[in-house]
Order: sequence, then structure tokens, then C-alpha cells
Amino acid sequence: MESLNAETWDTVICGTGLSQSLLALALSRSKKRILHLDANDFYGEHEAALSLQEADSWAHAHTGGDVLHHDEPASGKNTNENVASDKNKLLTPPVLSGKESTLFRNAHVWKHPNAEAQGLSFPRAYSLALAPQIIHTKSKLLSQLVSSKAYRQVEFLAVGSFYVYGTTDAAHGTTLARIPSSREDVFSAQSIPARSKRALMKFLKFVIDYDSDEQKPIWQEKADNPLSEFLVEHFKLDEHLRDSILAMTLTLDGKVTVKDGLATIHRHLTSIGLFGPGFCAVYPKWGGISEIAQVGCRAGAVGGSTYMLDTPVSIDEVGHGGDIWLKLSNDISIRTTSLISSQQTYSTTSPTISRLVAIINSPLQSLFEILAEGAPTPAVAVVAFPSGSLPNNSQPRLDVPVYAFVHSSETGECPSGQSVVYLTMQTTPQSSHVLDIALATLLQAVAADGDVLYKLYYEQANSSRHSLVTSQGSATVFEFPSPSLGLAFDDESLDTVKEAWKIVMKDDALDNAFMQFEDREGMGDDDDDYD
Amino acid sequence: MAPSEDSLPVLKILLIGPSGAGKSALLLRYCEDQFDPESTTATIGIDFKTKKLAVRGKAYKLNIFDTAGQERFRTLSTSYYRGAHGVILVYDISSKKSFASMEKWFDEARLNANPDAVLYLVGSKLDKVAVGGRAVSFEQGKAFAEAQGAEFCEISSKTRENVKRPFVEVVDKIVQKPQLIAGATPGSKSIDFDMGGFPSNPCSC
Repeated sequence: MESLNAETWDTVICGTGLSQSLLALALSRSKKRILHLDANDFYGEHEAALSLQEADSWAHAHTGGDVLHHDEPASGKNTNENVASDKNKLLTPPVLSGKESTLFRNAHVWKHPNAEAQGLSFPRAYSLALAPQIIHTKSKLLSQLVSSKAYRQVEFLAVGSFYVYGTTDAAHGTTLARIPSSREDVFSAQSIPARSKRALMKFLKFVIDYDSDEQKPIWQEKADNPLSEFLVEHFKLDEHLRDSILAMTLTLDGKVTVKDGLATIHRHLTSIGLFGPGFCAVYPKWGGISEIAQVGCRAGAVGGSTYMLDTPVSIDEVGHGGDIWLKLSNDISIRTTSLISSQQTYSTTSPTISRLVAIINSPLQSLFEILAEGAPTPAVAVVAFPSGSLPNNSQPRLDVPVYAFVHSSETGECPSGQSVVYLTMQTTPQSSHVLDIALATLLQAVAADGDVLYKLYYEQANSSRHSLVTSQGSATVFEFPSPSLGLAFDDESLDTVKEAWKIVMKDDALDNAFMQFEDREGMGDDDDDYD
Repeated sequence: MAPSEDSLPVLKILLIGPSGAGKSALLLRYCEDQFDPESTTATIGIDFKTKKLAVRGKAYKLNIFDTAGQERFRTLSTSYYRGAHGVILVYDISSKKSFASMEKWFDEARLNANPDAVLYLVGSKLDKVAVGGRAVSFEQGKAFAEAQGAEFCEISSKTRENVKRPFVEVVDKIVQKPQLIAGATPGSKSIDFDMGGFPSNPCSC
């Protein structure tokens, strides 16, 4: 322990969320002296994957909190912002990477009274992701993992079908319909009438080069209008197809704009087939983003960084002689020239989402069909419940969609024969109830005789979407924004990683060297050893 | 067609144990026949080393992973243990403290690794016996390994004594567990990024 305060660190990184861990990876060949800490005794911070035991204590630490409902949207934006700046002042945490972040609240756990008899396995047999984001194959995250050679340590699985729940036609009633996303899909879809097929085909063709000079005039004037209106007015898509296309955007408020919506659908469609047939996105085995975070930290350790978990940190003093003094929870004082952490304070102007994670004692096999010849078996299925589609007696009508990510046991997040369902929606006063209804509806729709064994509910907010940089003399404090609430990984967070990397690297930062590494292992110099 | 190097089954072997036990020395001696008597500092820059080994007439490619200093504050990640076929737990026979920590390391390995993974106990720095440096007897090591259901041997990376033995014996145990090596052949269900964006390999089937 003594050696920790024997030197001035080039940087101290607090928290092992994805951004901080990607920074560790980016710095892993830099010869900088790096101390990387986390207040929790597990990796991944807000993007961790938890065993049931860890999930229970995590929920216990996040039960409380004010209600973060945003039941009056649009109106009163200004007052909200005033509240935000006041809150920011009040809530600035003295601890940099707290176990009890204000970003999560109202967590509670429910367990089936006979869970074990029904098949619930030992706590470590589960790995529940706090942030189960899918990663489009076009994402820069994947190309950075490849160029930094870190991808070899992560096993990526295919995200398969996107389904939309709703009434397809009178004969079929309310069911799950696979969202057609290619010409072949559209041709073979039996539930779509011929006229709608032509409209859909026209739209799909348009999206592929929507940003070209030829297509831009079609949408540019309506860039900030809701996509749902544009789909109906311009492409004459019927309600079902409109819902299908909206589902592809994974929009949580159902109000995605034409500009953002088209960009997201374009990413979705052009990601299909990039790494193999039949899928547009991948998911890291064993808990998603958390696994990438751990691999980033391992790369940091291989590069010589020191790692400590279960070690909260607070700032003692900033600015004296260009150094920052930090106090670790074990009372050791350390000195660094830069400090990187992530914002733990929620912004009241950003929406809050509600999540329900449920363990089901059924494999829900029918959701994981192989989508194209030679395609890998998908491990993740996406189910969208469009606004207003769920049976809901409460008033007013629910005007936000609900999404379910269904993970098979191939993800390593549950034992075989079971599955994990991650439901997400924008928080409303009834979200906990609505997510329960969505879960029951899903199980009914796939005709699964599965029981719910375990449920974890929580609400999640995010911080301001910008990094915060404070410089005093030559010392710099940098705070990443908290993870995005989106259901697909957002490449924008990679820009903040590069920003932080430049701060630590100072004059050594060469743009084209960012995340560009050679393989470490000395292949080829091994001699055969045949005993 | 003779199996090419790339089609050999890949086995993931981990080295774990307390700082200074001699994990990296064993790795370097076994894989590269190198030994640096001056090197006592934490290991930097080594992720894993690759070595081919044939057991019972069949060749395997071993990827042997070092802890990268993450054992110091016990921050090895769960992802380090993913897919490991064998775990070699190393202590220093000249240090009682090193030996005393092994129970915790066995617990950690059992908690995180595949339940079928082969665990193997190694007492290192056998050369220190010659200068009266032994603090843990062979019998103590052997008895502890047996209690943990693991095989055991003592080695010296300095003199090369027994350095191949733990690897040969671990692989020998692994290959007797078909359920454990089922996933060792490359390209099962996960997506191969090496192929990304390029025409698929015509030899892949």
C-alpha cells in the first residue's frame, strides 16, 4: 500500500464504467503512471453485470430517492433547467465514484416464493446487466476494439429478430410480428398486404441513401417533425408498418424526429450483414457492456496500471503546485496531475427510464430463430410494444412504448433452460405496473409456460450529456457524462473517451494513434513441445 | 489435409496466486526458456503467451494468461476466468504467507471459473531448498492440493526443474473431460471479427 503515495500519478481514473475502462485501454501502451479505482467491489460501475447476490445488495443501496417522474413533458422547460442548476450545486458529490449514485433509484427486488423449487439456480449462475445495450455492427466501438486488439477477449453474439407487438390483421389477432428489414423479408411477409409492401419497399430504398443530395429534399424541411407523422404522410405507411419502423429506432418517448429517426434506421439497415448474414447488432457474452469494461481494465493492467476495487475516493485539495490530492477510503493520500471520473449527479432536464429485469424459467425458444442461411443463432431478441398497444385499464392511456430485450442462456446470463428479459420504458407514475403487464403480455404472446423467478426493478436518470473539464494550473479534473439511457450503444460517448485521452496524453497525443495497437502476444516465436 | 496450426484446439490456461509467487517466471521459462534472476517487479506488457503442446498424441495450442498485476489488490476480473480450461495456482515454497493465501485463491478460482475447469497447485522456487530457504514442505503442499482435489508439483523456473510438468499434467486432465474441451475448437457460436467486412473464408467448413 505504501508505494501508492510514493509517486505522483499521471492520472487517477475513478470508476470502471465503459468510458473509464475504454480510456484505460486507450492509455494502455502509453507508459503513463495510472491508478484506476472503483468504489464498488465489482467492475463496470453503472454498466456492471451482477450476480443475484450483488443485485440484491445493489438494489438495497438504491431503494430510496425522490420520485423522478416527468409527467409534464414539454411544458415548463425553463423551470426545469433552473432546478437542474440548483440541484447540481447541491448534489455535487464529495465522493467521486460513489456506491450509492443518485442516478439510480426506487430499486426493488421480487423473488418467487418457491424460486428454488421452480429452478432458480445459485446466485453466481446469473449475470444481470444494468445497461443491456446492443451494439450495431457499424458502431465505432467495434472498430476501436478491433484496432486496439481488445476484441479477442470478448465473445460477441448476434442480436436476432426485432418483433413488434400489435394487431397485424383480424385473422391473427394480437401477436408478435417480425419487423421486415430487408427486401427478402418484405417479399416473404405474409401479414402485409401487397399495397403496403410497395410502400414499405419504397421507404426502405429511400432510407439506404436518405442523406444523398437526391433524397435530402424529401425530408430536410421536416427534419425536426415527428418521424411517425412523416412515415404516414409521405410514405403512406399503415399503422402497423409505422409502428414497426418506429420500433427499429428504439425510441423511448415515441417522439423521435425525422432527422434522428432516419439516421437510426439507416444505421440499423446498413449494419445488417456487415459481420455475417442475418444480424445488425451484437451483444457481448456474459453481461454485455460490462465485459468490454473488464477487458479494457485488463488491458490497462497489462500495460502496467494499478487496479483497486472497493476503494471510494474523495478530493482533498486541488491546485497546489499543479497537483490534485486525493484521499482513498483507507486514509491514504495520493497525488496526481489529472483526475478522471464520471458524473454522478442527475440532470433534471433529461428523461428518466424504468427498467425491469426478469429471470424466466423457460428458454423462450421461438424468439431465437435463425434469420438467414449461414447466420449464427441469435442470443438476443428485441420486442417492441408500441405506444398504446398494451392492455392497460389505467387512465390516461399510456403514450410511450415499452421495449423488451430477451436474452437466451447463450449470453451466459442465466443457466440453460432459462432466459432473462430486460424491459425498458420512459418513467411514468405507473411504470413498475406497466412493465409487469408488458412482461406478462410477452410471455403470453410467445405461449411460454414459463414462470417469473426473480425481478429487479429500478429507475435510471442520466447526468448532463457533456463532459465537465476543470483546470487549475496544470492539474485537470475531467468528468465523463453518465451512460446514455439509449437501448443501443451511442458512438458519441467514444468522443469523450478521446477527449479524456488527450488530456492525459498532453503533447504525446497523436490523433491517428488513438486505439491503434499491435497484438501483444509473441506469436510465432513459440517452439513446439511434443512430449 | 493435415490440420493447420490455426485449427488446433485452443486451451486457455490461467496462472493465479499472490504477488511474487513466480507466476511470470514460470510463464517465461516454459514458453520462451528465459529466466531473469533480477526481475522481481510486477509484470508489465504480458497479456498471454502461446505454446503448442501434444498430449496423448494430439496437439493443442495453449494460451497461457498471466495476472498482469491484478492479483496485487485482488482485482482480477470475472472476465479473466471466462472460458478457462485450466487454472494453475502458484505459491512460493520459501514463503509461508504465500502458501497460506492459497485457500483464498482456490475459493476465487472455484467461484469464477467454469466448474469443470482443472485446478492445479504449483510450489515454485524449488531452487531455494539448496540455500536452506524452504518454508513449506513438499508434504504440506501435497496434502493441501489433495484436500482441494488438485494435482500438485514443485518447480524451479531458475533451474528448469519440472517447469513443463504442470502444463502437461493440466492438459492431460483437461482432455479427459470432453464437456470441457467441447468449446475449444475455434468458431462455435460467437462472431468472428477477423472475417468482418470480408468475404467469408472458403475453408471455414
